[in-house]
Amino acid sequence: MASARRLRRVAAAQPGFMTLNPAVKPEELASGRRKRVNKNKKKNWTKHVDVNDVEDFLEDVRLQERTTGGLISEKSDESLFFLDAGDQKAAAATTAEEPTEQTSRKRRASRPLKVDLILKNSSLVPVPKDVLAYQVPNAKKLRRVAKKAEQLAAIGKVPKKHRRPTKVARNTETTKTAADTPNNPTRDYYDIWGQEAKETGDPWYLKQTGKAAVKRPEKLTGKLSLLPAVEVIAPGGSYNPDFFSHQALLLEAHEVEVKKEKEENKILRQLAYDKDDRATEETVFQEQVEGLEEEDEEDDPDNEDDGCTLGILNLVEKKTEKQRKRERVTKVKEQRRLAARHKTAQQQQLFQLRSIKVSLRQREQRTKQRQIQRRANQEAEKYTPRRLGKLKFKAQDLEVQLTNELTGSLRTLKPEGSVLKDRFKSLQKRNLIEPRERAKFKPRLKVRYVEKRSFREIS
Amino acid sequence: MGGLQKKKFDRGAATNYITRNRARKKLQLSLADFRRLCILKGIYPHEPKHKKKVNKGSTAPRTFYLMKDIRFLLHEPIVGKFREYKIFVRKLRKAYAKSEWTGVARLRDNKPVYKLDHIIKERYPTFIDALRDIDDALSMGFLFSTFARTGKCHVQTIQLCRRLTVEWMNYIITSRGLKKVFLSIKGIYYQAEVLGQTITWLVPYQFAHDHPTDVDYRVMATFTEMYTTLLGFINFRLYHSLNLVYPPKLDNKAELGLKAENDEDYALDSESYMEKLSALSASLSRVVSSVDEEEAELDHFPVEGEDVEQMEAREKEHNEQEAQKRLFEGLKFFLNREVPRESLAFVLRCFGAEVSWEKSLCIGGTYDVTDETITHHIVDRPNMDKQYINRYYIQPQWVYDSINAKICLPVEDYFIGVTLPPHLSPFVEEKEGDYVPPEKLKIMALQRGEDPVQDEEDDDDEEEEDDEEEEAEEDEEEEEEKADEQNLQKMETQRSQGKSLSVKVTPGKVKKVDPGRLEQEEKAEEKRLAIMMMKKKEKYLYDKIMFGKKRKVREANKLTAKRKAHDDASKTDKKKKAKKQ
Repeated sequence: MASARRLRRVAAAQPGFMTLNPAVKPEELASGRRKRVNKNKKKNWTKHVDVNDVEDFLEDVRLQERTTGGLISEKSDESLFFLDAGDQKAAAATTAEEPTEQTSRKRRASRPLKVDLILKNSSLVPVPKDVLAYQVPNAKKLRRVAKKAEQLAAIGKVPKKHRRPTKVARNTETTKTAADTPNNPTRDYYDIWGQEAKETGDPWYLKQTGKAAVKRPEKLTGKLSLLPAVEVIAPGGSYNPDFFSHQALLLEAHEVEVKKEKEENKILRQLAYDKDDRATEETVFQEQVEGLEEEDEEDDPDNEDDGCTLGILNLVEKKTEKQRKRERVTKVKEQRRLAARHKTAQQQQLFQLRSIKVSLRQREQRTKQRQIQRRANQEAEKYTPRRLGKLKFKAQDLEVQLTNELTGSLRTLKPEGSVLKDRFKSLQKRNLIEPRERAKFKPRLKVRYVEKRSFREIS
Repeated sequence: MGGLQKKKFDRGAATNYITRNRARKKLQLSLADFRRLCILKGIYPHEPKHKKKVNKGSTAPRTFYLMKDIRFLLHEPIVGKFREYKIFVRKLRKAYAKSEWTGVARLRDNKPVYKLDHIIKERYPTFIDALRDIDDALSMGFLFSTFARTGKCHVQTIQLCRRLTVEWMNYIITSRGLKKVFLSIKGIYYQAEVLGQTITWLVPYQFAHDHPTDVDYRVMATFTEMYTTLLGFINFRLYHSLNLVYPPKLDNKAELGLKAENDEDYALDSESYMEKLSALSASLSRVVSSVDEEEAELDHFPVEGEDVEQMEAREKEHNEQEAQKRLFEGLKFFLNREVPRESLAFVLRCFGAEVSWEKSLCIGGTYDVTDETITHHIVDRPNMDKQYINRYYIQPQWVYDSINAKICLPVEDYFIGVTLPPHLSPFVEEKEGDYVPPEKLKIMALQRGEDPVQDEEDDDDEEEEDDEEEEAEEDEEEEEEKADEQNLQKMETQRSQGKSLSVKVTPGKVKKVDPGRLEQEEKAEEKRLAIMMMKKKEKYLYDKIMFGKKRKVREANKLTAKRKAHDDASKTDKKKKAKKQ
């Protein structure tokens, strides 16, 4: 809007500007007081602005363009004016019209209809060009392809589209995909460590295009735990064990069980209630009667308390100047005394040199011991499972067969425990996977049983 | 002063770690896929040193990964494959729902697959690295190969595991690398030496599976996926190191021998070859068919800084090992149907024995029960009806015990119906002063070439002697003094009883001076002097060490005494029972 107004003002200010509409004068267009209203609200943009003048002006400009093919002010004088030298053409025309009636009739037939003339576009503004009519979709690409084809043809190559189809063994492709799966039982293996893959091409290029192999972090090659992958069972776990090693294993298992039981008992003990606290008839009665009996006795001490607090408040008083001075002096005295004491103590330390040395040595020894201990702890940590998630690692139950379960023969042996579980726990123990609880199955929608109304009416 | 305020948890430990969920989101994978990827790539969770620093001040237990590891994972091409697979599943489900069967078939044909070869190469840059980590792979392979085809895991995985483990066993047989076997209540532990690496693995007993519910099968399957790939490549390399054809092929001779008329009864044609391989009874064909292995002779040039004695010792050791490898060579075994066939066949073939079994038991038996040349017949039942006179009928434990003892043990203890001696763990290594069970002592004596006397009583005596020997070293002198005192006491008592002393004058003999004994005494004297000269601190330490040693010996003695009491008790029990009968 503002730009239109500026345009109008600028155009109107031009020296030779003329309006077609005689009612509007160029001076009016240029002048005019603006009403000052805040323009920060959209509402005000149109409400408090008089746009009629602008519209008039624009209408006028359009009219000029339509009828004369441009602003009159911009036209050259020759196109606007001509020299009036009498009515020559009209005279010539009248002389030409007279001779034949037939020709005039013919002309009438060839003359366009009045309707067409009315509908004919009278505007002098040229019709905008229809760009889409001239555009070919994908022209650039087609051009490029054609160019390429030309080049190839020059060399003597036939494009793929026109080549005769060769035999493609489709079966091999499908079998290849099947052979590629890691768990295909008939898959082939090759010497993976034999040939060293050669770097092809510029290393920088390979890296930028993401084709270079990324180096494995060095930390990953180390072992997480020093425990062996396969832990051999204790000698007591033999199918036909030596008596003592079997007893040792049993003892171990027994100790584990005792520990478990202790923990269980502890929880039970914590959950148990004190038998003295059990509600008797008496206590129940007292509870019911609570608050109904006289409570007068309790009121008295409260009153006394109030008096006490008041007394304390009264005691806080302002110190006198004398008191302050005395305090200051005592404070300085105390400081001096402490300083002197410190000094003498330091002097006395000269005679304690030996004991100080001893204590220093002791301290050093202690730190050394602690260092050793810490190192040993760190070493031991490598043999223990770490805390990797919500759950702590829980060792599986010891595989043990009681003396009466041992059969002493391979044929009648009943294997104990599960190797699968042993492997799984071993992975957990070596920190390869975190201990997890099995995800519980949650039904998404609750099933609700409702009696149908029709059924309910009957029953 | 001044400057920007430092934000908390913007540097240090907090930036070095990432929680599992954040890592998952960073990789745009589902939890299951993320877990799979981590297992395949060998990236494991870490426990940070200071949890509070890492967990933004909270001490809630969480799973953390190292940020660098996760960044490393971002480059993995398999991540893309996982995403592709996810989309594939989605499309397939849609096609199913719309009943577009051609679409389903087309999708199935173009199922995205991934390979783990590059990961194996990346995780194990050299062959030896891979070989060091094979324990897990073997145990897992053997475990999965015994699974029933019940849908707990892919049938293909089971088949692949079976194939790879059979290949492995065949390799061990040909390389004769087996060292120890232990039959436990859990499964069978094997230990072998392959290219200088000690490898231990666990094989479950057949048909011993109850599927535990608290084991995540998906995790195990992922591990197996990785390990099977690893094991395959290792097998390939190992086979080539021995000049064997890979995938394994039976020797021509062996194949002819195995060709029975009714092969089809055992397995389909497609499977029968695999079955024959897994029978473990035939040798494999080589790339270059050599008649006999050339014995790799040890160099006779002494290495620098090594004298002749050491070299001799080395040579002796080498010879011993060679002899152990041929423990059962020339022996012919026949397995009865109730013994664990695969384990026994594997173990026996590892030491050069010939093995066969009944035709109805399994494919691949090479000779019948009626063969006269059979030397050992392995039986695990209380009695046999028909017995051949020229062979030993022994229980399977004899094989395992002999392997662990590295000698052929006397067969008498292992006959049919005999109560077996305990099966000792070969993985226990006793230190000096530890308690050693008498059975082991006996075996050790056998290994030394001594002949333990058959009678049990004598045996006991020997044990005691052994014990005494141990003790004797410590307090020899004391005993001598005691003996002297005893002599004196005797004389005194005799005198007090008023008997005339039996005193004779005999011509004196020149006491022979034993130079060895003299030397020993001197040494003992020196030691005592050295102890006397010790500083107080050192002396304290020395006493402590000695005390510890003595305590160990005392404990061991106690255990042997207990054992003896136990044995005596059991003996008397037996006698009583015998009397009753």
